[in-house]
Formats: sequence, C-alpha cells, structure tokens
Amino acid sequence: MEPIVRMEGITKAYRSVPAVKNVDFDLNEGEIHALLGENGAGKSTLTKVMAGVVAPTSGKITYQSKPVQFDTPHEALEAGIAMVFQETSLVPSMTVAQNLYLGSEKFLNRLRGIYISAQQFLQSLNFAVDPTAMVETLGAAQRQMVEIARAVHHDARVIVFDEPTATLTPEEKRHFFALLRRLKARGVSIVFISHALEEALMISDRITILRDGELVATGPTSDFDREKIIAAMVGRTLSGELYSKRDVSHLRKPGKKVLSVQDISMGAMVRNTSFSVFEGQITGVFGLIGSGRTETFKIVAGIYKRDFLRGGAITLDDEPVRYYTPSEAVRDGIAYVTEDRKSEGIFETMSIGENLFGGLLSAGREDGLLIRTRAIRELAEEWTGRLNIKTINSDARVVELSGGNQQKVVIGKGLVQKPRMVIFDEPTRGVDVAAIAEIHEIIKALADEGLAVVMISSYLPEIMNLSDRILVCRQGRIVEELSPVEATEEKIMYAAVH
Amino acid sequence: MIFDPILDIFRGKAITIPPLDGAFRANTALDDAAVFAALPGVDNLCVAGGTLYATSGATLYTVADGAPQEVETFDAAITALAAAPDSTLAVALDDGTLMEEGKPADLPKGVDCITALAYGSNGSLWLANGSDRHKASDWAADLMEKNAGGSVWLRHAGESFRRIAGGLGWPYGVLPQGDGDAAIVSESWKHRLIRVGLEGVDPVLDNLPGYPARLSPADGGGAWLAIFAPRNRLIELVLQETHYRYDMIATVPRDYWIAPALSSNRSFLEPLQCGGIRTMGVHKAWSPTRSYGLVAKLDDDIAPVFSLHSRANGNRHGTTSAVEFDGRLVVASKGGDSILAPEVM
Repeated sequence: MEPIVRMEGITKAYRSVPAVKNVDFDLNEGEIHALLGENGAGKSTLTKVMAGVVAPTSGKITYQSKPVQFDTPHEALEAGIAMVFQETSLVPSMTVAQNLYLGSEKFLNRLRGIYISAQQFLQSLNFAVDPTAMVETLGAAQRQMVEIARAVHHDARVIVFDEPTATLTPEEKRHFFALLRRLKARGVSIVFISHALEEALMISDRITILRDGELVATGPTSDFDREKIIAAMVGRTLSGELYSKRDVSHLRKPGKKVLSVQDISMGAMVRNTSFSVFEGQITGVFGLIGSGRTETFKIVAGIYKRDFLRGGAITLDDEPVRYYTPSEAVRDGIAYVTEDRKSEGIFETMSIGENLFGGLLSAGREDGLLIRTRAIRELAEEWTGRLNIKTINSDARVVELSGGNQQKVVIGKGLVQKPRMVIFDEPTRGVDVAAIAEIHEIIKALADEGLAVVMISSYLPEIMNLSDRILVCRQGRIVEELSPVEATEEKIMYAAVH
Repeated sequence: MIFDPILDIFRGKAITIPPLDGAFRANTALDDAAVFAALPGVDNLCVAGGTLYATSGATLYTVADGAPQEVETFDAAITALAAAPDSTLAVALDDGTLMEEGKPADLPKGVDCITALAYGSNGSLWLANGSDRHKASDWAADLMEKNAGGSVWLRHAGESFRRIAGGLGWPYGVLPQGDGDAAIVSESWKHRLIRVGLEGVDPVLDNLPGYPARLSPADGGGAWLAIFAPRNRLIELVLQETHYRYDMIATVPRDYWIAPALSSNRSFLEPLQCGGIRTMGVHKAWSPTRSYGLVAKLDDDIAPVFSLHSRANGNRHGTTSAVEFDGRLVVASKGGDSILAPEVM
C-alpha cells in the first residue's frame, strides 16, 4: 500500500546547523504513527516540515502519491494535513467556537449558528467545553481539547499531534485515546509525538525514533518495548536512573519551617488550604488539573492575590507576608519556575544570557540602569555550563533551543536569583527523558544544598521518586500528606479524586 | 505593603488553623493502637505507686491486665485526678469538691471547675480552674460563650491555695516544672501552652491545631500532650458570629451544636455531613470533623516532636489524657470509650 505521506531525505538546517538530517519517514493511511525522541531530536521540526510550518532545506515530500511543497500551514491544511501544536495556537480573546471556525468563516456569519454547530461538534467528540467560553478563561487541558477539535473539524486526512497528552488528566487521556481510535477507524492518519513512552506503546501501530536529527529506528510497535525505545532515543540505557524504586531509607529530614500557609483562599480555585514547607526537603505536590495546586503556589509567589477578606495567612520565617507583585516574593527568596514556559517563563526572542539577566533584575540584584553586555555573556556562559544547556553558542536566542533546554533556561532564571525556596511547577512537562534526568538532578541538588524545594507534578512516578513528603491537592485544598514510605500510586490517586 | 496595617482594620484579623504537618503530620497510630482496656467514657489517667488509675463518670478504677477494677464511686463526675509523691490520690469532682486522703480539701472561693491537678516534686499542688462561670462538664458552653475566666492555683505544702494566673481560656492541663514552683499549663480556648510561675505567664507553644487537654511527664524528658478536639473552619466561623452562636446555644440541643466534640458520626442530626465528609460511602480521612484523636510528644523545650492521630474517619477520638505506665504510653480516648496502648516507646 502506498503511504499517504512519504518524506524522503528531509534535511532542515537553522543557521546551517541541521535540526533534521536526511530523514526518511512514511505515514500509512489510517495508522497511528508514534514519533519519539529526546527534546532536540528533531521530531517537531520534521512534522513542521510535513505541515508546511517550515520549509525543508532539502528533501522531497509526496502526499497522496503526488509531490508537494507546502509554503504555509494553511496550504497544508487545505490539502488535509493539520498539526496540533505542543503549545496551543488559539486566539485567547476569542470564544471556543470562533477559534474552531477561524480561517473557515463564511462571508456572513451568524454567531448563534456557529455556537450551535460548535456545541454539536464538541459533543460528538465527547469534549466538555463550552463553545461560548473565551479561550483565555480555559485551563490548559481544555485549550488542548479545542486545539484537537479544530484539527478534526478541518476534516484533515493527516493530523500531527505534538505532545497532545502532556496537559491532560488520566480521564481526559482515556477520552483522547478513544478519539484517536475513532479517527483511525475513519481512515485518518495520525502522527503522535509524546514523551510518555507507555502511551506510544499502547496507542500506536508503528514507531519511529529520532536522535540528534537522524532516524535511528522505525518499525511496527510490536517490535519495541520501553527499554528498546529509551536505548534508541538516548543511545544509552536510562533504565534505573529514572523512576526506579525509591530508596525510602534515605529521605531528607525536614529542616527549619520556611513557609507556613494557613487557610488561604482565592475565589473558588483555592479554598482554605494549609500546608508548610521545610528547608532541605523536596515537597512534592500532586493534584489533577484544576485541583488548584498551581494557583496555590502562584499565591505564595505573589503572582495571584489571595482573597482580600478571609484570605488566610502566609508566614515566611514566622513573619506574615502578603505579596502584591511577584518581585516582592522574589526579593524574599521565593523563585517560581512556571509550568507554562512559553508565555510566562522566557522571552523567546531574547538570548539565554538576557533571559538569565532578567532573573537578576527581578531579584533586585541589578539596578537595570546600565545593562552590561559582558555580565550577560558571563552569566550565559556560567549557567549553560552549570545546567548543561545544549546550544549552538551562548548568544543563541531561546526560541532556537529545544523544549528541555528552554526549561533549563527557565530554571536558571530562577536560580540566579539565589532563592531559598524554589517552586517547580511541572518541571519536566514536554521535556525528553535525558533532560528529565538532568532536571531531576538539579532539583535534588538544590534540596541537598538545604533549599526548600516544592515540586508540583501530575506525573505520579516523578512525585514518588523525588519527593521527601507528598502533598495531595484536591478541589483547591491540600487534603493529604503522605510519606514516600507509605505512599503508593493508588493512595495518592485516591486522595486526589475522592 | 505599607498600607497593610490600615487595610487589616477593614479585613479583620485572619483566623487561621495551622496545618497538620511537620510534627503534627497525620497518621493512624491511635487507630492502629491496641486496646489496653475498654472503659466507656474514660477521662483521666494517673499512675500512683505502680498502679494505673482511670476515671469514668463518677467512678475511679484501677486498670490491670486490661480489666478495669472499680475502686470508688463519688457523688459527682470526676473531673481531675493526681497522684501525690506519697502515692495518695487527689480527686476533683464536677460539683467543685476536691478530695484528698478521702476528705474534702479547703478551696478558695470561686474554685469549683477543677479541670486538672498535679503535684510538684516539692509536694506543692497545682490546680487548674477551667472557668469562673461553668462546671467542668459544661466546657462546650464555656467555649461557645468565649469565656476566659480560668485560673491556675498553687498550694505549697502546709499552706493554702493562692492564685498564680487568671483570665485564662479554659486551663485544662498542668505539668509542674523543676521543683514545682512553675508549671506548663494548656490553655484550651487559646490553643496554646503557657509557662506559669511566680514571675508571670509566658506562652511557650501557641497556634496548636486543636484544643489542648492534659499534660503528663515523659520518661527521658519532655511531655505528652493530649489534644481532645480539632479546630476547624466552621467552628472558627461560628465563634466569630456572636448572634448565631447565642441563637444556637438557646435553641439547639448541646450534642448538635457546631462546636468541638469528643466523638462524632453517631447521629444524623449532627452538623458537618454530606459529600465533604463521605463519598460513595467512604469516610474521608481528611474531611472536616468535630472530633479527633491527637496526642503529641513534646521535647524538653515543649516543642512538638511527633504525634499520634485518630483521623476524621477513625473512632479513637476525644483524647483527654495520656500517661506513661509500665514502660509504655497509655491514652484515654473518651470518645472511643477505651484506653489505648499505641506502639511508640
């Protein structure tokens, strides 16, 4: 059978550095094809070439047996190739329905008609999203649903999903996989990029693995297992390094109580939640999406404000604090490493050094009147080395880095502030296995140095493997504290959902 | 922000409950504990001359081999119990009587709500008078009226009682310090422990997550603190709502007040029910609750070290007393009708 998409000898170079090198890739009709690799392996670049987002430096693409060259994503979409991006590309100030129909509007549109058809369409996909809701009011998971719905709505023959499940809850993932199977049954071909290897093994028909921009393995899913995939992805076996059984006899002992949060409330998102954070420990915070864990810690970091009346109390070193801006928290030594690095964590078009320097500015450790380029360069050189940021040179713009390296820049931006408490919110979301291991080492080293570390994660093995104590958040409250000695995935999940 | 002190006038002072973490991290040690003896309504525990004494209602028991043996029944409920250095017992009753060596002792006027007794090593007797308005059994009313009429008294051997501290919110436990001229006192309604002596009153541990009850010395230093009920948001709210509170006191039977309790989940008329408590028939361990079981180990500096819990879904609640006996800790769970022997020592 002739593949629906055939890519031959694809090379794409940025500033003469190839992101993908001479890659051959086939996608058959009605198959789910998992594309795996470390961050920076070239997965996104390869699929962006397919979807017309970037033009290849060399190589040939055949779509439905005809050679094609898409210059814009719109051309690819018209032809039937849609891409659901890792970071959603919706218009936040428009409604869900308007986003669904964006680019396919008629000359005259009846808003009510759009809402009704959008409602029917979303229901057919089993997505519980209000079509009249503004996208900016939606959580990450719901935005992802709208993004997926938009691709399906354009009647695409080929859909590329770039990390579609990163922001979804287990329940939402089940719905998403059912949707993939329905699309497959309708003859839609799917490229599925994920860092969750179990998902790829479970859902895909074929697997292709890239490493450093080159194809290293491809074949039916039945030929692969987790170990083989990881070995192919990173060129070494990471088994035992990541998510191995935790040695609970060496938990870090709590040091001095740094932060005490008592009954803080913020609207309906955070409700009377109380907890403490101690020095020299990793406090893991688990909760499903919408459980208020991010919001709780954004209040601590001064990004959100707790309720004016009956908003509770926060004490730092037994002194009450109420931050009105994040910089106040930063100056008190609280660093927040965001879960949404693109919009909150980095200045994409600025260099690594400039981003790191921004961290110093917000900590008040530079006056900002005189920007010293030498200091910026030194900062970039120091931290690219310390955090092992893989880059062409230290002047590189952050947008040119892979997801994992961008994340390291965000972490570096927090660490240059010399904090005493670091809050990591989903530190390894959208990050490849090798970078995950490195980020985990950074987090552990901070706790070993005596810093108070908070790690928010919705990935249970990560929580269980790193945390010295585990807090479980549900419906805006910390409902349970577990020690890794007694914690099991079932116990944590039970607390999170019941 | 510099305006916060002004804004706080309008916001009001935040009434917050400290989290159950650190030394107070929740566990199931009391629920997992063996039953040392079943004794309905067990309240005070005390060791004298190698014998464990317990009280329930108006009756004094000895407890040996897991079986309570009745020693004596008094005219009113026993509210406090202490052993003198010579192993004789002092027994306080709900009618305001203090019995020493089988005879009523002389008490100053106004001392008729004895909640705790303890002898110092120099033979002095410390006495906590919970309230100047209510009997010891009316503790819930005293809390709901937000009284602070408790006092602590000291009697040196051969002398009469003299008041050491007053204006306290239900002093409920006394632990003499040193030779007996100072004591640590648990002040329930203020959720704190204070050091009381001839020099005055000095807070030593505040912002406890519950209502502290009796104190007893621990072998090797430090102390055991029984906490008889938890704080929760609803009760804190009711305590701020004066009109609601007085309406509730006037019209609702005491068992169903929105107030701390020694046991709960025994009647459908109780406050605090529904999905926040129980989901699909499973009682959530972390749900808001009126009753709880909690015993804390304190170090020499009266800082909490660790704690033993019976959580919202447990039933060893209302821990009013904890003492060491025969090399082990025994805990009176008044709400759980039993004396427990948790595995901690």
